[in-house]
Amino acid sequence: MKTRAMTAALLVLCVCMTQPALAHRLRLYAHVEDGAVVGFAFFVGGGRARDAEISFRDASGRNLHVGRTDHEGAFAFTPPQPQDVVIIVNSGDGHAAETSLPLERFTARATPEAAHEAGPVAQAEAGAPSQTGAVSTLRPADLALIERKVEAAVARQIAPLLEAYALAEGRVRFNDLMGGIGMIVGLAGAALWASRRRRDRAQS
Amino acid sequence: MAHIPDGVLSAPVFVVGGLAAVAALTFSLRALDDRQIPRVAILSASFFAISLFSIPIGPTSIHLLLGGLMGLILGPAIFPAIFAALLLQAMMFGFGGLTTLGINTINIAVPGALLGLAFRPAVARASVARAAILATICSALCVVATGLLVALSLAFSSPDYAASAKAMIATYVPLMVIEGLITGSCISFLKKVKPELLSPHAAGE
Repeated sequence: MKTRAMTAALLVLCVCMTQPALAHRLRLYAHVEDGAVVGFAFFVGGGRARDAEISFRDASGRNLHVGRTDHEGAFAFTPPQPQDVVIIVNSGDGHAAETSLPLERFTARATPEAAHEAGPVAQAEAGAPSQTGAVSTLRPADLALIERKVEAAVARQIAPLLEAYALAEGRVRFNDLMGGIGMIVGLAGAALWASRRRRDRAQS
Repeated sequence: MAHIPDGVLSAPVFVVGGLAAVAALTFSLRALDDRQIPRVAILSASFFAISLFSIPIGPTSIHLLLGGLMGLILGPAIFPAIFAALLLQAMMFGFGGLTTLGINTINIAVPGALLGLAFRPAVARASVARAAILATICSALCVVATGLLVALSLAFSSPDYAASAKAMIATYVPLMVIEGLITGSCISFLKKVKPELLSPHAAGE
């Protein structure tokens, strides 16, 4: 009984120590490219999810768009305006994955408001006598354009990085695999030990 | 594919699956002979490692299930083997889920246990070549049965899944062939090298 209680306690401890499921078999990668949501759905263990249903929802759960991934598992969608977007892919056989892109990720798409905000600053700079000619000629529209270009360039540069990270995170690691096998061997050992003890006690 | 994640199934389906798994595990552990423990562990580790690797097919991906092989070698002792491996896969990789652990165990282990029991006497008696053919058939049937059980679990949870569940069955066809061939060759090898492994009641007694 004591060993059984100990085993139970150990199991509970194991379950508590692990995070809630970090990954699913099916995973999603998405980033913002010039105001559009671009990405792909892939399987941990290899391969892309082709022709799977993909839906884009806003923060309140309303469907913005429903489509299918292409033969590379890729998708693209431009939301009507920059907003929180939740992306859900469902391969229809019980595999589903979800990811979200918050509003902040959409700043690359300069809005009229953004240009307006930049306006007073640009004018103040233009009014300052110590400014160089180049800056003083900048109009709010130009500033917004530069901002947009920079955002787009940065997004383009870090996209492969984000992609590699998503893939690396959703990979079966050899160490984890060996850890799992070790755990099973350990469980078998514990079971043998427990059954041996029971037999010894029955004999004595 | 047989690893249904959390949040897909409705509560009644995974609760029933969980209860069925507890009952099957209890029965199976009671009947478990000490000498079978290493065998259970080896096959559990094989299932754990092999079913992590998947091949993409269409919108989904397939991986080996080994239900037939495990059923033929372990019989009802397949339950703890599948359960331990699924628990570790769910905890370490997030494959499957903790709420669906019971139903996933049932979906994979029940066909293996029943078909294994049905085919085992014939496989034990048959010649090497015949045993390989029987094992191939047994494991192909296991794959179909698991596919049907997964489809049923999904269909009972939400009618939306019914249509896609039918499409999913198609992806089980290549798996049937691959799994059948692998199980067939494994069994013919074991039959040559260690035939007593396939007649558990005679093993070590």
